[in-house]
Amino acid sequence: MKPAPFELARPANLAEAAAALAQNLGEARLLAGGQSLGPMLNLRLVRPAMLVAIAHLPELGAVAEDADAVTIGAAVTHAAIADGRTPDVGNRILARIADGIAYRAVRNLGTIGGSLCHGDPAADWLTTLTALGASAITWSKTGGRAIPLAHFITGAFRTALAPGEIVQAVRVPRPSSQAHWGYYKACRKPGEFAHAMAAVLDDSARGVRRAVIGAAGGPPVVLEGEQVTPVAAGDALRTAGLDAVARHMQAVALKRALAEAVA
Amino acid sequence: MTPVIMTVNGAEVSATVEPRTHLADFLREQLLLTGTHLGCEHGVCGACTILIDGEPARACIVYAATCGGRDVRTIEGLADDPIAAALRSAFTAEHALQCGYCTPGMLVSARDIVRRLPDADEDRIRLELAGNLCRCTGYNGIVRAIRRVLAQRPQDVIVAKPPLPRGQFAEVREAAPTVTRADAAPTSTPGDTLKQTLRLALPRETVWRAVCDPALIASCVPGARVTSVNGDRIAGELVASLGPIEARFAGEAIVTYDSHGGQIKAHGRDPASGTRLSADATFQVAEDGPQASTITLDIVYALRGPLAQFGRGPVVRVFAAEIADAVGRNLEARLRGEAIPEAPRLRAGSLIWRALWRWLRGLIGGR
Repeated sequence: MKPAPFELARPANLAEAAAALAQNLGEARLLAGGQSLGPMLNLRLVRPAMLVAIAHLPELGAVAEDADAVTIGAAVTHAAIADGRTPDVGNRILARIADGIAYRAVRNLGTIGGSLCHGDPAADWLTTLTALGASAITWSKTGGRAIPLAHFITGAFRTALAPGEIVQAVRVPRPSSQAHWGYYKACRKPGEFAHAMAAVLDDSARGVRRAVIGAAGGPPVVLEGEQVTPVAAGDALRTAGLDAVARHMQAVALKRALAEAVA
Repeated sequence: MTPVIMTVNGAEVSATVEPRTHLADFLREQLLLTGTHLGCEHGVCGACTILIDGEPARACIVYAATCGGRDVRTIEGLADDPIAAALRSAFTAEHALQCGYCTPGMLVSARDIVRRLPDADEDRIRLELAGNLCRCTGYNGIVRAIRRVLAQRPQDVIVAKPPLPRGQFAEVREAAPTVTRADAAPTSTPGDTLKQTLRLALPRETVWRAVCDPALIASCVPGARVTSVNGDRIAGELVASLGPIEARFAGEAIVTYDSHGGQIKAHGRDPASGTRLSADATFQVAEDGPQASTITLDIVYALRGPLAQFGRGPVVRVFAAEIADAVGRNLEARLRGEAIPEAPRLRAGSLIWRALWRWLRGLIGGR
């Protein structure tokens, strides 16, 4: 199918992008790599009057790092991260996550910020970056903020972003050198939407032990400290409304992520 | 219409395009480069895979108007490429195609594998090919062809690209947003079934009278509207949105009542996306005390069409719980004579729509 007609704005900077959003409140959507929004547009599940293209903005394509964290511009592609063109948080954690997203042709255009803002509960970045304790760094006319990813998604395809607020980067804290990391997702076919996924960060030097379960229909399910057990996960997933089959797949994903984190 | 200038197969192309025209349609319909094939048109099948700035990309989910300044190369533009030539020979020798529909995209991806992963083994090749669907060959010939070219050790491998530029990101104040989550707790059984429980601080008879009044119930469902009631047949429409997704379902339900309960059979369609929903539900209104009652809904549903791809089970369940929560609050307010606090618009997606629709139908059930 072909998309319903829309107008296209190509702003020169974030201020112009925000202005375009503000002038078309509720009718305009940001377009980054378009690898999730494109299918929805073609299927006419989404019919915005305007798209505001931002993937070309230089301020979204840069990276930064300091002793505590790595910051990646929102329009950096999964492929750039997978290929090691961005700083990593250690042990190629980000590169390995990026390399498992969809297919290479999709990774070449899909962006880290676009994936987060799309808000698909089964997205790799949402679950893994939540486990890593990352925050979305936003920009708005009145000043940006750092939104911890654990609070970034309010529901499937819905974010905590205010109207006119744009994610400009993702700040990912560096785990300590002794940290253990595990990530597992269950897909019937490589690259398809995951049916279950779990990420585990065990970093006692920083006092962090966290498991995050994604593809659970809503915001990621976050378990901290003593809660990181299959039993606690099962309880949380029952509360989240998952059926027995889905809970079983999630339990397996969690066990495998835990096993990787121990290894 | 938007003017755009890009490079296609080495030549500069200046054109005017509708913003909604995707790159594959632009290449095929305006430039007559029909070697780029279109299969699924939503980024899954890989038939339209081309090169943008030297990297494989799906031409069906890139819009031509966003390709200003880009270097686009299609299968036609790989005629003189040495690796593409070696792959063509190998595809012939290894019977790597039958109908040929996937082949242009397959060759672009195969060339990328050869250049980017010179040490790829069979498992890695198969993993990389997951994004290009072939329904003739079973992939064996394609994998053999790629291995044959890799064994020739072509020189044209990709050199590592430079690190991305360093930048500065604006200082921000740390602030966590307020998070709200539906506290309705749905329970569920295996399959496409949904059980929804709605607790109301109202007497059972009051709730039952409301349940028997389709228009009243509809007014409590954001985005819902009853268009006609004819005996036990109720026609209506429902606008449900989940993030950017919006579905406008029109449909019909047949509602039958027994003592403080009943059945609903409903079906609806979103003409814009062609998504269809059908549902059978039973409902009961139970007494929890003099001023408390519970509505339970057992729903069996089927969602078919584009929306089903995003309406995965868990998403539907969470959405349904949120809707039930909103309807419960609105119904209580309504029956107490208060104004309904929320705009009459459901904030939920396809899943919601289904659940909502059935539920709505059930609630609407006029006599």
